[in-house]
Amino acid sequence: MSPAGSRKAAGFPTEAVFQVGAILFLLAVWYGFAAGGKINVFLLPRPGAVFQRLAHDLANFRIAEDVATTLWRAFAGFVIAAVVGIPVGLAMARSAFGRWFFDPIIAVGFPAPKIAFMPIFLLWFGVGDLPLIVLVAINCFFIVASSTAAGAAGVPRLLIWSAQSLGDSRESIFRRVVVPAALPQIMNGIQVSVPVSLIAAVGGEMLTGGIGLGGSILSAGRMVDSVGVYSGLVVCLTVGFVLLKLSELARRRLLHWHAESGPAS
Amino acid sequence: MTTVTEFTGGDVAAGAGRGSVGIRISGLRHSYGRNPVLEGVDLTVAPGEFHCLLGPSGCGKSTLLYLIGGFLPVQHGTIATDRGPVTKPGPDRGIVFQSFALFPWKTVLQNVLYGLENLGVARSERLERARALIDMVHLGRFADAYPSQLSGGMQQRAAIARTLAIDPDILLMDEPFGALDAQTRRVMQEELLAIWQKTNKVVVFVTHDVQEAVALGDRISVMGANPGRITQVVSADFNREKGSNVARGVEFNSTVESVWEMVRHEATVAEKSSAREPGSR
Amino acid sequence: MMPGRIAQTLYKYAPLVILAVAWEAAVRAGLVSPTMLPPLSDVFKSLVRLFSHGAIFGHAWSSLVRLVTGLSAAIVVGVLVGLLMGTWRAAHLIFQPFLNLLYPMPKSALIPLMMILFGLGDTSKILLVFLGCLLPLVVNAYNGARGVDTKLVWSARNLGAGNLRVLTSIRTRAALPDIMNGIRTALAFSFVILVNAELIFGQDGLGYLVGSFGSLGEYSSMFATIIIIVAAGFACDRLFQRFSDHLLRWRAV
Repeated sequence: MSPAGSRKAAGFPTEAVFQVGAILFLLAVWYGFAAGGKINVFLLPRPGAVFQRLAHDLANFRIAEDVATTLWRAFAGFVIAAVVGIPVGLAMARSAFGRWFFDPIIAVGFPAPKIAFMPIFLLWFGVGDLPLIVLVAINCFFIVASSTAAGAAGVPRLLIWSAQSLGDSRESIFRRVVVPAALPQIMNGIQVSVPVSLIAAVGGEMLTGGIGLGGSILSAGRMVDSVGVYSGLVVCLTVGFVLLKLSELARRRLLHWHAESGPAS
Repeated sequence: MTTVTEFTGGDVAAGAGRGSVGIRISGLRHSYGRNPVLEGVDLTVAPGEFHCLLGPSGCGKSTLLYLIGGFLPVQHGTIATDRGPVTKPGPDRGIVFQSFALFPWKTVLQNVLYGLENLGVARSERLERARALIDMVHLGRFADAYPSQLSGGMQQRAAIARTLAIDPDILLMDEPFGALDAQTRRVMQEELLAIWQKTNKVVVFVTHDVQEAVALGDRISVMGANPGRITQVVSADFNREKGSNVARGVEFNSTVESVWEMVRHEATVAEKSSAREPGSR
Repeated sequence: MMPGRIAQTLYKYAPLVILAVAWEAAVRAGLVSPTMLPPLSDVFKSLVRLFSHGAIFGHAWSSLVRLVTGLSAAIVVGVLVGLLMGTWRAAHLIFQPFLNLLYPMPKSALIPLMMILFGLGDTSKILLVFLGCLLPLVVNAYNGARGVDTKLVWSARNLGAGNLRVLTSIRTRAALPDIMNGIRTALAFSFVILVNAELIFGQDGLGYLVGSFGSLGEYSSMFATIIIIVAAGFACDRLFQRFSDHLLRWRAV
């Protein structure tokens, strides 16, 4: 559900201008409050200090290490979720047994706060990447599986009837008609899962600490290092933003035949 | 899987040497759940006939078409073609829908190739036949376009080409020109007649437009609603002599008027009977 | 409930029962070590103990208060902003860039910031829930407002309604299905962010309990609390669906 996904005809330059404007506005407000001296420099450090820290951490590769670690966990979990979730979703649409078996699991699991299971994962998998990867995978699995199931079950019946009258068999129709027709919905699930994977990874890292974006911000918070917290947030924001744009690009490429009827909204 | 053994290369448009197949329907009844949709339908469509199903909404004409196509299971009565009883969909009964139902992720050419792939036709022959059909419906330049890039009329032509590619005995059409503007509709009607005269197939054509039914059909089943049934079958076979141009002469207009009266009468009767029984729908 | 309905519900949730049985069997059969996965029967015993002991209700209440406060605030603000954005292009141009910045930000990353700014008490948690829930509400209200059939608005104006009346009576009602969808998503998000926050810096609440039991090694109580949280999330989602369906019963399905 990307609010930035709208492709208004004449809007593009205007929207970009407003976007840049908003960023500048926030920076100006930040500078203003910090320089004005009214606000405790601890609660709101000067932008200069934050950028200095960013530069420093970039130079000594701390940021690179954190970003790489978090992204690796998010990516691994995301891939597992897609590899398991898409077939499960297709099975749910294809067979009555699949639907019967997975429906309650997804109904209960979807709204459940998966982060609550983190202590269990820590118990089972110890510390390190694995519990976080599992957390990400479980978070994204429900999204991918339910989007896939919805997409495959929602293929317009006229398409299936056309395929049948063109001589195709049931199994073949599923592969050649249902799956491609469901692709926009499947991509929706995948696209929503991308930011979710990052959110889940960072959220989990908040609990485990250690290396990683979440871990760094948490340590900064614990050490009451507000400059560290703010710089960590800036990094998080940037990473999230880049991921978002990349996934939008991927969607446009894969669904080029969908033309104007495509953006995830 | 039905194999069409009489195919010979290059015979796509002509369908030559194959006697068309007729349709025999008897005692057909159908309900959706507890709602009766069709009652006591008996109909025989002769080989090579262009038969229209005409009626207001709710008269079950589309349901009848879907039953012939094998998309809905027959609950009561029989439907048979010369190939045997109808139990499921098959390439002997091609269908064209009002919403075109083209595969949006495939180009026009790929859509048309789809049925040929299913029939196991050899690769080079597939392409040849597909392109011949695409040219026949005047979409030659758009073979590699996606449906979303085409206008309504063009999409409908692509859908017709796709269905014709498998050379079905029977062509089922569910208000195929309903989504098009009036001018395009007229052009498409004439093109359809031209194709039909060349290929000599049985066509069952659903419409609610009296003019269209009279312009296209050899015979018209006028249907009524509440319950859905065929009330009268009207002959309109003055079309055959006219080549591919639908001249709107005296015979045409008088037939239109009388059919129009029938439809109007049926609609009023249906209105009264549904008003008498509230909640019967 | 008629016996038929009960049987139907049982059939629907049977896979969960099967999984539960598999859980118990796996531990009893020694396939899994009981320290890793306490048998389901032990977890049930802990569940009963928690309820009879009573302290859990206090924790649940604390969590509930935070959740409801943050969520309600988010609903009010989010739906309003979303409707405004959907109705007036100026509002859209102004607010959208800020939302674009908020969207990719993992809300859990804000947790340490809230700790610093507002301390370790309820305020930070409520604010986190508020921020975490805002986005789906705004986006859905926006989509709902945009999707309003222009003809409906024209008809209303034609019948003499002024701008404000149009907004309240027509736009909001027509956008209601999307808004309800947004609230449903926000509800799920609120659970996640609250539990996350309580796990990290809570002193009470259900999330805090999970972490606390975990670190004390009382795993069956930990599992029991997690089950309570999941059940609560599920129940809330279902209840909301019922409420939403009732509110939107004019919609043809």
